[in-house]
Amino acid sequence: MAFGRQQIEFDESAPLLDVKGARVEIGNETILESASLTLERGELLAIVGPNGAGKSTFARAFCGLRRPDGGEVRWKGVPLSRLKGRQLARVRAYVPQRAQVPTGVTVEGAVRIGRSTHLKPLQGLTAEDRRVVEDSIARARMQGFEDRDLSTLSGGEMQRVQIAIALAQGAPVLVADEPTAQLDLGATAAVSRMLRELVASGIGVILIVHDLALAAAIADRVVVMSHGRSIATGTPDEVLTSQLITDVWGVEAELVHREGRSALHVEWLDSH
Amino acid sequence: MLFALVAATCASLALGAVSIPLSEVIDTIFGRQVPEATEKIIEILRLPRTVEAIVVGAALGVAGACLQGALNNPLASPDVIGVTGGAGFGAMLVIVLFPGSIAMLPISALFFGLFAAAMVFIIGFTGRGGGNITRVILGGIAVASLFSAGTAAIMAAYPDRVPNGIYFLVGGLTTSGWDTLETVWPYLAVGFILAAFMIRPLDRLMLGDDVASSLGSRPRLIRFTAALAAAVLASAAASIAGLLAFLGLVIPHLIRLLGGTKSHVFVMPVSALAGAALLTAGDTLARTIAAPEEMPVGPFLVLLGVPLFLWLLRKAA
Repeated sequence: MAFGRQQIEFDESAPLLDVKGARVEIGNETILESASLTLERGELLAIVGPNGAGKSTFARAFCGLRRPDGGEVRWKGVPLSRLKGRQLARVRAYVPQRAQVPTGVTVEGAVRIGRSTHLKPLQGLTAEDRRVVEDSIARARMQGFEDRDLSTLSGGEMQRVQIAIALAQGAPVLVADEPTAQLDLGATAAVSRMLRELVASGIGVILIVHDLALAAAIADRVVVMSHGRSIATGTPDEVLTSQLITDVWGVEAELVHREGRSALHVEWLDSH
Repeated sequence: MLFALVAATCASLALGAVSIPLSEVIDTIFGRQVPEATEKIIEILRLPRTVEAIVVGAALGVAGACLQGALNNPLASPDVIGVTGGAGFGAMLVIVLFPGSIAMLPISALFFGLFAAAMVFIIGFTGRGGGNITRVILGGIAVASLFSAGTAAIMAAYPDRVPNGIYFLVGGLTTSGWDTLETVWPYLAVGFILAAFMIRPLDRLMLGDDVASSLGSRPRLIRFTAALAAAVLASAAASIAGLLAFLGLVIPHLIRLLGGTKSHVFVMPVSALAGAALLTAGDTLARTIAAPEEMPVGPFLVLLGVPLFLWLLRKAA
């Protein structure tokens, strides 16, 4: 609701997202020490790091789901603290790692709920809103599934619905926490291609990923996190060196990456 | 559903100890010339009672839909936030301890219903980890037990006065004119308006707290506001018609089962219509089936509603 609130002036020349030294404390414990990143238009940025490095906490913090206790977050130049509910919903969409799957809700019904941030409390969907809903379903490659109940979908299909819900928000940035973690190889490839298509259409995408090979293949840049800090940022080939992988994950491994294909050669067992 | 409500309303106005032709009912409402006795029966007895049945039924249907959505729990009814226990205590307090000021009954029921809900909200929604569904529900059960114990204690102390309170405890409308409605209508209005504004946020909550947050909502605030709307509506309903919480539990379920969708855009308004229709029809039956004796509508609705509900439950599975 924008009643009486001052209009927010976004700076269209500023990066979509600029985070400097974000910090999160829960109780007396510091979960996120200091994490930074920037996201430009039409860019896919991957946040990688070991379990417990603070990746999800970082994403939730800059998305405003759990507002950071320190540092600076700016969406298109506007500080996060000045963005309330709907304004925030129009600048970024967040796709959670584990989605709640209600019964009695269809794919189209769910995507319409995603559009509801554009409506006043008792207003119905306009023709334009309906078009966006249809378009979001198409972009997430879920046509033909409109009337299916969410509880009947596979993991990959559910993930695409989550992305369609996020697209219906109409935000220029999509943040997804481990969207492929539960998916098989084919579904992972399908979601990855879809995300690249979104990037090609001008949306900025931030992915939290476990799989370094996948990150290297689909991301324009990666941010490496370790112990609550962002420790390296750059193109996958610059950053994901064998030395860094050893330092951060404690494993001997080499990333092989060329022309959209990638593999991680890992020394699974001690050879010494 | 709208048709069912209109039919129930007509029946409620026309039928009773004295049957009045529908044409005369309509003439009375539009102020045309009718026999004086007819006019009196309609305006003083049946119209207020029918309006009470409609608003109480609608309030309970909406309260149930709000709570079940807010707590994401199909077992939620005004019982779980303490309203029923509190209102029952408030009513028995007046009926048993202060029978001389029986006019205070609706206000006492309303006050203690809201007071119990406030206790639950303070326990459930404040402090660290506030808004946790389990905490709200457990807090509600504890507070409800507290007030039930209070009610039982009053009843045990004055067993001879208990019969006067039975009608309230089982739930039933009475022919009391417009007085109660005149007192509680602002609460009903506030409750209905709050509930209407919660329709979309509750839909978002259905997709999970994170998606709701992504969409710019605050899950904790939605839960609190929807539960508050339910508390106000259920307390106001209890002050008019006693404890009919069963309606609040069952109506939204019936609507979801019949409609095949959980969307609050559908469930909330249709629950209001269905609650109103069911209570109006139930009350008409309850006071005509053994006329001129009146049965309390509460047990009557339970007798009618439970088999229907169980049948739908099996059919849906």
